[in-house]
Amino acid sequence: MKKLLLSALAISFLFTSCIQDDDTPIIIEVGGGVGPIVEDTVDKTGAITSSETWTNDKIYVLNQKVVVEAGVTLTIQEGTIIKGSPGTGSLASALIVARGATINAAGTATRPIIFTSTQDNIAVGQTAGTNLDENDRGLWGGVLILGNAPSSFKGDVDEVQIEGIPADDTFGLYGGDQADDNSGVFQYVSIRHGGALIGEGNEINGLTLGGVGTGTIIDNVEVVANVDDGIEFFGGTVNATNLFVWACGDDALDIDQAYSGTIDNAMVVLGEASDHGLEIDGPEGTTPGAFTLRNVTLVGNDVSTKGEYADFRSRATGTVENVYAYGFPDGKDVELDNNGVSQNYLDGLLTFTAWEIVGFDNSIFVEKVGCLQNCDDEDESNDIDEDKIILDPSFTERAANWTTMVEQGSQTVGADTSKFAWTYSNATAGLGF
Amino acid sequence: MKNNKYFAALFFFFLFVVFPSNAQTGTVVGLVTDGELNEPMAFANVQIKGTSKGASTDFEGKYAIEVEEGTYTLVFSFVGYTSSEISGVVVKAGQETDVSVTLQAANVLDDVVVRATARENTEAAILNVQKKSITLLDGLSSQSIKKIGASDIANAVKNVPGVSVQGGKYVYVRGLGDRYTKSILNGMDIPGLDPDRNTIQMDIFPTNIIDNVIVVKSAAAEYPADFTGGVVDIVTKDFPTKAEYSISVGAGFNPDMHFNDNYLDYDGSNTDFLGFDNDDRDRPIHRYQPIPSIASTTNVLTTLTDSFQKQLRATTTTSNPDFSIGFTAGNQYDVGDNKLGYQVSMSYRNETRFYENRIDDNWSKNQQDREETQLAPTRRSFGDESSNNVLLNSLAGLTFKTDFSKFKLNFLHIQNGESTAGLYRQTIFEAEAGGGAAPLTKDALLYTQRSITNGLLSGKHSFSEESDWSLEWKFSPTLTTVYDKDHRVTPLGIEDGTLILNPNAIGTPIRIWRNLNEVSWAGKADIDKKYEFASRPAKLKFGGAYTYKFRDFSIDDYTFVATGNQAVPRNDPNLLLATDNIWTPETDSGTYLAFGDIFDPVNAYEGEQRIAAAYISNEFNLSEKLKSVLGLRVEQFESFYSGRNQSREILEDELIIDEFDFFPSANLIYALNDQSNLRASYSRTTARPSFKEASIAQIYDPITDRTFIGNAFGNEFFDAIQPSYMNNFDLRYEFFGEGGQMFAISGFYKDFTDPIEVVFFPSASQQLSVANLGNAEVIGGEIEFRQSLGFLAPGLEKFRLNANVSVIDSKLEMSDVEFNLRTAAIRGNETVDRERELQGQSPYLINTGLDYANDDLGLQTGLFYNVQGKTLEVVGTGIIPDVFTQPFHSLNFTLNKKFGKDQRSAINLKVSNILGDERESFYESFEAEDQIFRLFDPGISFSLGYSLRF
Repeated sequence: MKKLLLSALAISFLFTSCIQDDDTPIIIEVGGGVGPIVEDTVDKTGAITSSETWTNDKIYVLNQKVVVEAGVTLTIQEGTIIKGSPGTGSLASALIVARGATINAAGTATRPIIFTSTQDNIAVGQTAGTNLDENDRGLWGGVLILGNAPSSFKGDVDEVQIEGIPADDTFGLYGGDQADDNSGVFQYVSIRHGGALIGEGNEINGLTLGGVGTGTIIDNVEVVANVDDGIEFFGGTVNATNLFVWACGDDALDIDQAYSGTIDNAMVVLGEASDHGLEIDGPEGTTPGAFTLRNVTLVGNDVSTKGEYADFRSRATGTVENVYAYGFPDGKDVELDNNGVSQNYLDGLLTFTAWEIVGFDNSIFVEKVGCLQNCDDEDESNDIDEDKIILDPSFTERAANWTTMVEQGSQTVGADTSKFAWTYSNATAGLGF
Repeated sequence: MKNNKYFAALFFFFLFVVFPSNAQTGTVVGLVTDGELNEPMAFANVQIKGTSKGASTDFEGKYAIEVEEGTYTLVFSFVGYTSSEISGVVVKAGQETDVSVTLQAANVLDDVVVRATARENTEAAILNVQKKSITLLDGLSSQSIKKIGASDIANAVKNVPGVSVQGGKYVYVRGLGDRYTKSILNGMDIPGLDPDRNTIQMDIFPTNIIDNVIVVKSAAAEYPADFTGGVVDIVTKDFPTKAEYSISVGAGFNPDMHFNDNYLDYDGSNTDFLGFDNDDRDRPIHRYQPIPSIASTTNVLTTLTDSFQKQLRATTTTSNPDFSIGFTAGNQYDVGDNKLGYQVSMSYRNETRFYENRIDDNWSKNQQDREETQLAPTRRSFGDESSNNVLLNSLAGLTFKTDFSKFKLNFLHIQNGESTAGLYRQTIFEAEAGGGAAPLTKDALLYTQRSITNGLLSGKHSFSEESDWSLEWKFSPTLTTVYDKDHRVTPLGIEDGTLILNPNAIGTPIRIWRNLNEVSWAGKADIDKKYEFASRPAKLKFGGAYTYKFRDFSIDDYTFVATGNQAVPRNDPNLLLATDNIWTPETDSGTYLAFGDIFDPVNAYEGEQRIAAAYISNEFNLSEKLKSVLGLRVEQFESFYSGRNQSREILEDELIIDEFDFFPSANLIYALNDQSNLRASYSRTTARPSFKEASIAQIYDPITDRTFIGNAFGNEFFDAIQPSYMNNFDLRYEFFGEGGQMFAISGFYKDFTDPIEVVFFPSASQQLSVANLGNAEVIGGEIEFRQSLGFLAPGLEKFRLNANVSVIDSKLEMSDVEFNLRTAAIRGNETVDRERELQGQSPYLINTGLDYANDDLGLQTGLFYNVQGKTLEVVGTGIIPDVFTQPFHSLNFTLNKKFGKDQRSAINLKVSNILGDERESFYESFEAEDQIFRLFDPGISFSLGYSLRF
């Protein structure tokens, strides 16, 4: 009897305490909801395990992560609209083209393929909605293409998990030894309003390219209003042309892990929340690799507290040539971040050619140093920093060799803006390309 | 639910006021132990010499005799056993005098009587259990706890040889971490305030409700199989022999932490001082509330954002010292021929900690330069951290005892609230060697509310005076909750002196709610049968146990972003969520809740564990000198998981671990002579992953910014986590001298199959996981002694030196995965050894103490030193180096003085960490300067307590 009594007692405390009441009401937004209801939509979730085609008479909705698995080809017709659903963490929506999978996304200048948010009221046949602008960031995730091309990873491992996918996920691996790896075609694609948070301090880039090889064709890609970087190259060898990035929350073009392809004809327009126009890192492991970046136009923003031209860090290795920059406020710079990258400059591994800047001369090029000791207390006066290593002449002085101060419009270098006439940015911001 | 403890308090307070104590007589009480089987001796005779007064022990070997004040001689006898005569037993009015003896079997039927004085007997009794026990165990009786002057078990138990206490709370046995140590309460599993640990924190039990603490170091079939280092059994008192009440008050002062003007605090709720939040920190919006984007034209987003508590940065104030208050009460009543007793204790503790310049750094090897051996930082953090910890603890027990049965009903509730406020200055290095540095400030305002509610109903039955059978059964439900309520973490970038939200480089302001509810139902039954084997007493034990545990865990979190350049209004984090600065459709600028940030099911799970066990063991004496226990336990362990995996597949009651195992054990003791034994034992044991470890929930630590990721299903690098199995061998020589002196030397060997280790996620320096990384062997030696200093000079006999030193060598043969990761990341002339130490195993352990006890003065004082060798805390994986916990030299002084009428008052003084050592863990790597993983300074603390018995 006693035993029974206690059981009853125990059960009662179990039920009173265990169930957490959630008595806060759910507020339903009346009339505020947007997005097309009338369209013929196709929901996509999880792995795509056999080849398929997405057609331009429908709207495809990405629910959480949609993964094109190895051996599978996803074909997206020109003019197709793909919308990512809201969600963060594991719920963040993204299209992931896994290693060994193929994407065949060939849009055209008049009928680009559009990745946007389910919040966007864009409808089949249109190239732009009307309810979102370049400040609407983070409404869904992004596009990730992963390949088998060589990259330089921490700890010299052969493959790693792509940024933006939790470390214990299994489908985010990239890297390998096939420099000519082919992930397919990605042409005339506009990616808008993405960058959902997937972990503390971890968001998805607009277009993430991880270990993508030279067999892949990437040209005419636009990224607008992403929370994180516009386009980030994690290692790999792929070449890319005609890239346009506008109003992203972090860096516009980002290079890491010894990316060793060529980026030709790229334009970056910073927004109010943007960080660097270019953020160029070097190898993370001991495998080397050098990029080429040429014919680039950088447009600054005078509201952003960050909004620098470019940051070269951690033994960045490559060539930057024919750069035109305008619209940057005073105090913004092109910096060599620490001794590692400065040494690469001295060794001729990082070179600069033909920069034309509106309103500023070579003074925007600066050598910075890393902090070695006592960096983590409040007192900055006791910090022991690296010494500068580019001396007599200094980096700033040497920059005069490749820098010209120009008037806006009189530049002789930079991107061929006519190639961006097709973009949403051109249409929306009235850039007149 | 919360009200229960107040009712309990009221009820027992009533009892306490109503029954005052009185009497001109005193009581002699005690326990008679059967030296052959080392168990209570039922129905033994106790006679007060020269009087007609006497009693026989009950079925639990206990007796009580009421006599007038005076000095007596007691005679203990039992047929077939040597009688024992204890002289000089002083009985005082209204007091209890404990005289417990062990009777040995008589070899011949002559009239041998062992004679001792009361004092000799008392001291010997402390070691007697240990001396005669066949399993290797150490005990702390309530007497020896008093002697140590400890107010809680944590302070007491570290005086047990081979035991050390981590962080003042968790027990280590033989330098093995708490994964391999288990704590049980009254013989039943009890989850701790951190239910993912195998052990309960020891500092929550006041010593005056404890009957004894037993530390078992070698397994026996009747104990659960999931311990390897040791099991700590906390046994609460049944009831006192007479009305007994006590109150105690205490205060603690730490010059570094208290009355400090820089203390950080934030507005909590008005019940924080009682250890719970009064709902002020509840999640303000529904779990499934859709969050609109700023493309929206309604005020919903504004309303939702505005509903969160607005304080994000702590204010500075002056810190208070620690204080505590407690009372206990107990009494027994005769109910016909039977006895009914109760024992109740309540205590309240309020502790304030303030760590200035706490450091939590992340380092890695140089990423590009194979010749560079020095480490480079990836994230550094230093700052001030304040916390206020409230612990309310109530325990009530009711015992009903008849001639042949005892029923015990116990109720325990522990309520704990911990409020933390921190302000950290951090740097994130996105590139190598101090490059790509992004400076930031991080505010953290945290609250964690924990509770344990445990019931225990048990019965113990003997069937008649002649019966050889006895039965004991226990049934124990437990409810555990851990709620993280509104953890507010606000990292803000510093850009030319301006604070800005910078989601990409440094993270987003986040609010976290975590809910953990765990229910456990445990039951067991043990049956003993005494019989004769080769005409010597022998005992057969068998029984079974079943434990069912269910856990529900979920996380809700919300992040905030802002429009424009994301600068913090007026550089004040507390203005980020000020109503005026929240986004509205009209202004289209300000702070707002990130779109689509709703409940993520990957971080929620329901776990279920079922453990069914049965055992049989036989204790028999092969000869007069050789005793043995052979046992076999079988356990079926099943672990189920419901939730989603990373591929978003829904798992429903997925059986993720299913093991059926045999756990044999053998214990032998050979008496070389009356004073010395030789022991040998073997056992097979297991260690199982906790719910958290066998999940995939990502647990972010707002203070260290490290994330723990469970390993339920395996990943790119590691296979899914599995239980480990150990074979344990022990050999020990022990010598017991006069007056409780002893000396012992032991050797032990353990082999581990698939030990569970804490490991860095490869190439993610801020993520931790668990994995089975290889097989290990542990070999160790242990020396312990207790020696009176009387041999040096007369007059020093009241000084006693205790020492216990263990030296342990552990070797783990690493799997290919770890070896290859390490090999890929060698720097300079580094070579990778296939073997390394076992994570969590310290290479040495020293416990020493010098104490002075003068019972006439009621004075006990001592100086105690404890240190544990450098221990592998987190296994490195190539580019991320190993982390080692550094030795913490703990020197403590205690003084306990009784005074007043019948020495009913006592003061105790304690000085902790006299050497002022710091708690440190370092990254260590080949030819590299050590770098800080964690560092904080506990300072020197002083505490003073007063207690009164009446």
